[in-house]
Amino acid sequence: MSISLAAYTDVVGAPAIEQLHQLADDLAGMRVVHVNSTKSGGGVAEILSWLIPLMNELGLDASWEVIEGNAPFFDVTKSMHNGFQGNPVDLSDEAKAAYIETNVSNAERLRPILEGADFVFIHDPQPASQIELTPHRRGKWIWRCHIDASHPSRSVWKFVSQFARQYDASIFSMPQFAKSLPHPQFIIAPSIDPLSEKNRELAPGEIKSVRDRFGLDPKRPILTQISRFDRFKDPLGVVRAFRTLQIDPRPQLVLAGGGATDDPEGQMVLDEVRKAADGDPDIHILFLPGDAHTTINALQRASDIILQKSTREGFGLTVTEGLWKAKPVLGGDTGGIRLQVFNYHTGFLVNTPEGAAHRIRYLLQHRERMRAMGRKGREFVRENFLLTRHLREYLTLMLGLKQELRDHLAA
Amino acid sequence: MLEPFRIHDCALIVRMGGVPDAMNLRELRDRVVTCPPECLYHHFCETLLRATFDDPEFRNDFAVWASRALHDRALAEQLGVIDPYTFDDREALRAEVLDIIADRLHELPMVPWAKRGEEFNFMRAVTVVFDTGHDITEPSDLPGAIERMTRSSLYYHFVEARRRTDGGTDDFSTWLSAGDGEAKALIQALQSVDFYFLTLGELKTKLIQVTRRALNKGGQR
Repeated sequence: MSISLAAYTDVVGAPAIEQLHQLADDLAGMRVVHVNSTKSGGGVAEILSWLIPLMNELGLDASWEVIEGNAPFFDVTKSMHNGFQGNPVDLSDEAKAAYIETNVSNAERLRPILEGADFVFIHDPQPASQIELTPHRRGKWIWRCHIDASHPSRSVWKFVSQFARQYDASIFSMPQFAKSLPHPQFIIAPSIDPLSEKNRELAPGEIKSVRDRFGLDPKRPILTQISRFDRFKDPLGVVRAFRTLQIDPRPQLVLAGGGATDDPEGQMVLDEVRKAADGDPDIHILFLPGDAHTTINALQRASDIILQKSTREGFGLTVTEGLWKAKPVLGGDTGGIRLQVFNYHTGFLVNTPEGAAHRIRYLLQHRERMRAMGRKGREFVRENFLLTRHLREYLTLMLGLKQELRDHLAA
Repeated sequence: MLEPFRIHDCALIVRMGGVPDAMNLRELRDRVVTCPPECLYHHFCETLLRATFDDPEFRNDFAVWASRALHDRALAEQLGVIDPYTFDDREALRAEVLDIIADRLHELPMVPWAKRGEEFNFMRAVTVVFDTGHDITEPSDLPGAIERMTRSSLYYHFVEARRRTDGGTDDFSTWLSAGDGEAKALIQALQSVDFYFLTLGELKTKLIQVTRRALNKGGQR
């Protein structure tokens, strides 16, 4: 269900909404196509699910296409994803062939749509080669890399960069992630939708019902990490941190996440986490369906502390979600988490399971400080990481590209 | 009779500056020598419009980097006090930055380095300006209009205007100067604001205060 822009007025104020309409005036009727590799699961799909309807409401002609792939393709793109984040990955010729083959078969269907577009946004490496499979393109093509690409595996970057360099521009979430490419590289941090099922305000009864469903005791602290079961999210480190806590009352740990259709490693990591939890009744491992947004919302709101102990992270939208729900966040000292978590202000950055355990104990002994952090975190997200700012930057980027990127432009 | 003042707004999109990252102070010096003036402007002036958590200790990115990545507080203080609006042009600003860095490199026994991942990234921005469709018709409407303006609109008319206009002044003063002299107190009030070390929220509050006070004194309310 899409939400009208006017509905955001109460959250961000009327001027911010008016600003979007004014900016979009000059882009009315422009054909904009976004392409990624999954319709649900993960931050990119979430962003596109609100971005497309809002662009349309502003008068643009926006659509969202998803490339279809088989298991070997997603195995390759998962390796590429891991390689981008620094794992030593050496792409074999077969892997490259599987990648190309899937993109070629998708190009047959996508070509007519992409050729006519004024702006094409290709998200992440999975569909990146569509650019050379669309020779008669007329619009501007932008490669949007959501991944922490600060230290990618050489083999993976060598392969992907041959496509990336063909674009008119690229977008990264942080300057540290930008690469050496022969075109302008923009910086746009992602954002959350405050009115989506995952972030809207919930009635106390809705929170209670989810707490009861998973057998969580409201009298004891609840610590929650919401994320895919992915090694870079370090769920095993979270279990280790939890096991280090010898405090009374004993907290409860929730590790909840869904799978994404483009992540074949999820089941394997989930099995490892279950093994590490070793049947501990206070560790709740929840493998949730991709559409369990209200459940995730309620789990975050029922929690005392949100964890996101990633060792690599593009941006960390679950951190943004936690802050928006006025919770202190313990986040891995990496990537976009550093843009959101400030020690003693919105939470703590941690580097080890021991560091996480230490900060959990500190916070549980300083309840008023936790509340103050929560208040600050929510206002910080309101100012910087809601979808209205994100949408404004996309519109500004399109206007900039339309006018050949002079430094000072009149819309 | 004053023509109505048309309120504009702006939006920025930040891009990489096309200059290699600096990993140490010597590299910073070398990059500052050749970086486009738009990079200098961005790191000194456009920081106001960027996502920041708190009121930063230093207003420009060079000082922040010297403090956080190089852990050189003395250099941070020397760079931090630079007010870019006191220079005739950006080349004079560049010369001042280079002077300070050169002096510091001369003083230090070794070149300070940043950790991997904390390099100085040179950035610039594309600014898109758009018409809000709103006017200010009377000088006495100025405080109320400022109150309703977005932060980016205030930035455009009060801060960014100094880059755009020959006199290096704000758009409100330029508009009021075209009148018959009655708005002299208002112009003086606007020009008395030491804005460089204010956040846009603080600037808004300050401008509302000083313009209201000037109007009350001048009996224009």
